[in-house]
Amino acid sequence: MIEFNSVTYIHPAGVKALDDITVKFGQGELVAIVGANGAGKTTLVKHMNGLLKPTKGTVKVFGYDTTQQTVASLSRRVGVVFQNSDHQLFSDTVEHEVEFGLRNFGFSHEVVKQRVDWALRFFGLNEYATTSPMMLSGGEKKRLCLAAVLAWDPDVLVLDEPTVGQDLLNKEKLEQIIRLLLTQGKTVILVSHDIEFLWPMQPRTIVMSRGKIIADKPASKVFTDDSLLAEARLIKPQLVELAQRLNVGDGEVFDNIYTAKKWILDRFRCA
Amino acid sequence: MYWVANAFIFRRGDSPIHILDPRIKLLISIELFALSLISSTLIHIGISLAAIFTIAALAKILKRVYRTLMFSAGFSVLIFVINFLVGYSIITSFVLAVRFVAIVGSTSLFFLTTSPDELEYVLRWFKVPQDVVFAFVTAVRFVPVLMLDAIQIMDAQKSRGLELEKGNFINRIRKLAPILIPLVVTAVIRSSELAEAMEARAYGAVKKPTSLYTLTLKKRDKLVGIASIMLFTTLLLYFLNLTG
Repeated sequence: MIEFNSVTYIHPAGVKALDDITVKFGQGELVAIVGANGAGKTTLVKHMNGLLKPTKGTVKVFGYDTTQQTVASLSRRVGVVFQNSDHQLFSDTVEHEVEFGLRNFGFSHEVVKQRVDWALRFFGLNEYATTSPMMLSGGEKKRLCLAAVLAWDPDVLVLDEPTVGQDLLNKEKLEQIIRLLLTQGKTVILVSHDIEFLWPMQPRTIVMSRGKIIADKPASKVFTDDSLLAEARLIKPQLVELAQRLNVGDGEVFDNIYTAKKWILDRFRCA
Repeated sequence: MYWVANAFIFRRGDSPIHILDPRIKLLISIELFALSLISSTLIHIGISLAAIFTIAALAKILKRVYRTLMFSAGFSVLIFVINFLVGYSIITSFVLAVRFVAIVGSTSLFFLTTSPDELEYVLRWFKVPQDVVFAFVTAVRFVPVLMLDAIQIMDAQKSRGLELEKGNFINRIRKLAPILIPLVVTAVIRSSELAEAMEARAYGAVKKPTSLYTLTLKKRDKLVGIASIMLFTTLLLYFLNLTG
């Protein structure tokens, strides 16, 4: 679906932001891109819908070379939701905000109406349809940005730091939405520092450092590798830390709170 | 956008010009500005531009000054056309057009080699009221921040299918709304947060706040200052045809 072949990107200011990246993203995958600030995560993501074009190498999206495509045509299939909601919202009402992308892509009036209605209901925003987006809370603005992109039903959804400034309830809602999208065969790519949010979903995890991919493994391998975590300036998920301290054994870890609870109760009962 | 940012925003450097006292940099900039303003022949304007480019080369910002001048060249074409249409000769219209480029160049030399902090010290040295200094320097500091915001907003809206390059002039102007509204909103949010943060750190508690550094003219600053005044006076006399 999305293929990076030996991609190097040099920023106009002369900084090498991506250094010889080769990676593929397939259909229905959940991928997390992690790494320290300035590692090149957002730069990588911006190549997926053609906002940035590689200095060297090629990026192919659904077989099309991004240098030959417009951002609009690529965005139709690769929806990107950026970190800062205030950078995206401008319309007078919530429903017009969702409508914006659909109009740009030339959907018919009936389809626009249906999609806006669906997106607002799906994200629990229908009661705010005629409210100004500026009046929404941080979590609602985030959901609105997601609704505005999912309304045109892209095949790939890229979320850049989706949990920044979100409370626990909103994070849980977001996780549910991601899991639902995966059941629909969508590819979801998450750029995040929020390890606790990523860990229960057990995504394929790409670790970036200084413009390079230094690991591309399942989450269970990445988040238990101390040296890798140190290089990417990340800390272990609490459940991994707990499993290691409890000495669960055989390199096993708790992938969610329920397995941890079961193990502790079993052990306690045995004792 | 990156192109514009590179042309107008201060970046730290280690050139002989960058390390000068900001008041001397301002003096040189004012002298070049005055020379550009009174240039009335091709030779005058040539000398003014040569002086600007020499200082830009010494400051190692030749490429950036060139970009600034290219940016202003668009307006100078307009100046040339208007002057020519109202009856001035080609040479005079050309000199007037290039004069504008030189004026922009002379002022941008100061801003490209002077940090907002130095600018603040200079304004304070001129006894400009503290609130005015703060407002002006904050505005200068916010320029690169707003440019980054604008780039991010454009990226976000392009990702939602907005094609700024398509359509006629009116449509293109209309398409700027999704860029300008979030830009203004984020600027207002940021400025009100800044105001609160400043108040929380006792801004305005005393009439005359102290500062970490004070401006002191070093020997090299005095030498450069005197040399620039002498050179400026000579050129001024030559430009005004008063050399006898």
